[in-house]
Amino acid sequence: MKPSASASRKLLRLALLVGALLALYLVAVAKQDERQRIRERPVTLTPGCEEKLARYQLAAGDIYVSPYILERTGRRIVKQGYSEEDVRAIQRGCNIIDDLQGQRAADPAGERWNATRFVRGTHTSCNHCHQGIGDKQTADGTPQIGSLSLAASWAMADMYDRFTGLLLPYELRQMQCYINSSNGYKPNIADDLIRDVTAYSRFLAAVLDLRFGNRYPEQGIDEIPVSSTLKRGDDYVRGNALYQQRCAHCHGPQGFGTVVDGKVIYPAVAGPNAFNLQSRNNFAFVSTILPGFICRNMPPGEEGSLSNQDCRDIAFYISNLPRPAGDRQGPLMALWQQLMMRVMPPLIRFFDNGDSRP
Amino acid sequence: MITGALAPRRLGEFGNELLIGLTLAIVVLPQAIAFSTTLAGLPPYLGIYGAIWGVLLTALLNPSRVFHGGPNTAMCAAMGVTLLPVAPQFGADYVGYALTLILMAGLIQTAFLLIRPLGRALDFVSEPVVNGMICGIGLYLIFRSFPAFAGLPINTQVEWRLWISWQTFLASLEIGNIHAINIGVITLLVTVVLRQFAAIRNLAILFGIAAGTLYSEFINARYGLANTLVEQIADLSSMGFVYPSVPLFSQEAMPDIISIIPGAITLALLGLFQTVIAMRRMNRKSGQFVDSRHGIFADSVSNCLLPFLSSLPTCASFNRMSLMHDMKTRSRLAAVLSAVILLALVSFFGDLIAIIPIPAMAAIIMVLGAAMIQWSDIRPHFQHRAEAIVFFGSFASVHLFGLFGAVICGSLLALAYAKWEKAHPSIHLEGNVLRVRGNIYYGSLPLIESLYHQAHARFDELVVDFSAVHHIDPEGIRWLAEISKNDKVHLADRRSGHERRTEQREPHSQQTRTDRRRRRDF
Repeated sequence: MKPSASASRKLLRLALLVGALLALYLVAVAKQDERQRIRERPVTLTPGCEEKLARYQLAAGDIYVSPYILERTGRRIVKQGYSEEDVRAIQRGCNIIDDLQGQRAADPAGERWNATRFVRGTHTSCNHCHQGIGDKQTADGTPQIGSLSLAASWAMADMYDRFTGLLLPYELRQMQCYINSSNGYKPNIADDLIRDVTAYSRFLAAVLDLRFGNRYPEQGIDEIPVSSTLKRGDDYVRGNALYQQRCAHCHGPQGFGTVVDGKVIYPAVAGPNAFNLQSRNNFAFVSTILPGFICRNMPPGEEGSLSNQDCRDIAFYISNLPRPAGDRQGPLMALWQQLMMRVMPPLIRFFDNGDSRP
Repeated sequence: MITGALAPRRLGEFGNELLIGLTLAIVVLPQAIAFSTTLAGLPPYLGIYGAIWGVLLTALLNPSRVFHGGPNTAMCAAMGVTLLPVAPQFGADYVGYALTLILMAGLIQTAFLLIRPLGRALDFVSEPVVNGMICGIGLYLIFRSFPAFAGLPINTQVEWRLWISWQTFLASLEIGNIHAINIGVITLLVTVVLRQFAAIRNLAILFGIAAGTLYSEFINARYGLANTLVEQIADLSSMGFVYPSVPLFSQEAMPDIISIIPGAITLALLGLFQTVIAMRRMNRKSGQFVDSRHGIFADSVSNCLLPFLSSLPTCASFNRMSLMHDMKTRSRLAAVLSAVILLALVSFFGDLIAIIPIPAMAAIIMVLGAAMIQWSDIRPHFQHRAEAIVFFGSFASVHLFGLFGAVICGSLLALAYAKWEKAHPSIHLEGNVLRVRGNIYYGSLPLIESLYHQAHARFDELVVDFSAVHHIDPEGIRWLAEISKNDKVHLADRRSGHERRTEQREPHSQQTRTDRRRRRDF
């Protein structure tokens, strides 16, 4: 009696195990099929992407001739064309850069490959730093200097990370964006999220006819070290004044950004939705990147109107505003920053308003 | 003594030892490769040399009959976690740092050997702490294997919190290589099913890997390796008898080496804990008593030597030792033979080993991770609330604070639990007699004093009976001295058997001391 009871229990356990395993396998097959369907279905472009890709005449074909180069130089440079599959990948990549969190998509999770999983907060989008959907140009169509152009970034191909000394392929550099700039987690290197952005960046490089191994002015950030100022030191008070004068109109008096109908119009530069303390945007961590970005890209439409010293002061001020702690700073620091972000701003608002009250 | 324990008594016994050695070699081979590649992020030869030299050294240095060293799951996982932020995996620098890490761990273990109280401190890690950690590591192994199982590149994620593990699991489902998943599932199914049959339980892993490899060869032949993209174990044809190596110690590497010191401490402690606990268990099962200091000695010496032999660190292996015990080994020859046979296997069948697919390895790691969570081991902890809390604390801390944090957290919990138990002696007031059983020490004094003061207020004459107290610390002695000055209070302390029988009480000063402990006269 006893051995058969234990044998049947064993059999039941085995059946459960095998059943669970097969169920997981079926889930995996179903999920992969779903991904494949998304890969094959036509892409609904965001307004920005629609305009940009129409301007660059992206279409499937055996050859691709860049209208941008043709118009500016008169040269007809013939490149290898794109398949239907390539075109969809490029379109999805453009959508991801323009609207990472899918706030303008009908099916945010499907159309953006669950990008929200890898981002904390509701504001972050690639387009905030890589402006002009990764291809920022001046009024006459010249690529903007120091605009973190994705095309030039792709042309740089594999680079050595200046902080860790590791060789980083373009995919790994994208993965670092999610941690260093968006306060999030790394997607897997084989994820469509990474592949599509790579496809889009390659396409932009083909459009602008950028070549491997070259250095372009729109590549990365035109960093502003102390040596490019009069060395008066970085001034927090002056930064505050300049911020309120030039930036607060869009980013808000406390840097919390502007959101209308659940869509981010201007991103937060402070508070829970902003980059974290260990981000390379943080002035205390790397003091040349954020000033460089501000000087070349801010305020939109009036780029170049701030002096180097202005940019350093503003960056210094912004970086001292409360923001999330980095993942490796430990729970105490995280708690402290949460307190600073959630409790301090209402207090400040209360006292600021108190002055104007009768 | 060493030769005595090494040599079997009869030829028939030698045959049995040979069989055990062969089984062990076959069991340890996939483990060695899987631990070094998917857990530690090191080339497979380190695991194999670890399974040869680590096993050989510990077998020669440790007098225990039932002992099998070699690469270990938890230690390899700790190495992977420690070294991930330092250098890219599988690179030359990474191997150098790994060897330095092993050497540092070996030196720390030597400190445990030389400083006796440190070695004794290892005994203070209670069973629930260890079981909690083992279960935590088991769960971690399962999650950690998902990317390799699904043929995805391992995300160089420094943290391994459950949240990120969950994301990795989702990624495996959604973007995994379906060929790799098929190989993994076949390996998993074959292994899990065969493990249910007692007769071939020990060979289940081998059959699983064989099935996975056969399927991998089939799809590679059908679709081509370029289309299936299934990763395989590297070529082992260059493996020889010994491969000398030197740990990385250079000026530029110093900041990184300093940053991995906590990892080295974790590694040393993980190894020693497992060795001490495995030896304690085997002592109870086999009836042979071997002091755990012999195990510490063998481990520390081996781990100081292994980084110079391109080997992973060694410590006792629970699964292989229980296998040895089940097969009734009688001498240390079985462990020695397993190392020699493994060397022969690698030398002559290297080409076959090279085609084993990585997803099959990951599936094996999952099985081993699940096997670490043994319901029969953890069930007793749920019958006692404090033990259950310690178990869960230790289990959770593996995932919340990492392995090093778990060692610290678990030990603190175990100590706190022991102190808490001691701080609650049984105190009864029977008439005007206050009986104390347990310990009188700084932790329990507040409870005792509270009842004493209540009783003191109620009775004109109070007897404090501490004859059943087995430990009094200096603070307790001072308190007893203080209350003995009170005329209302009489102390009834421990009496010898002779005194009990004759019921005669001598005056305190004339009492002959039979107790070894020094006690101050009140």
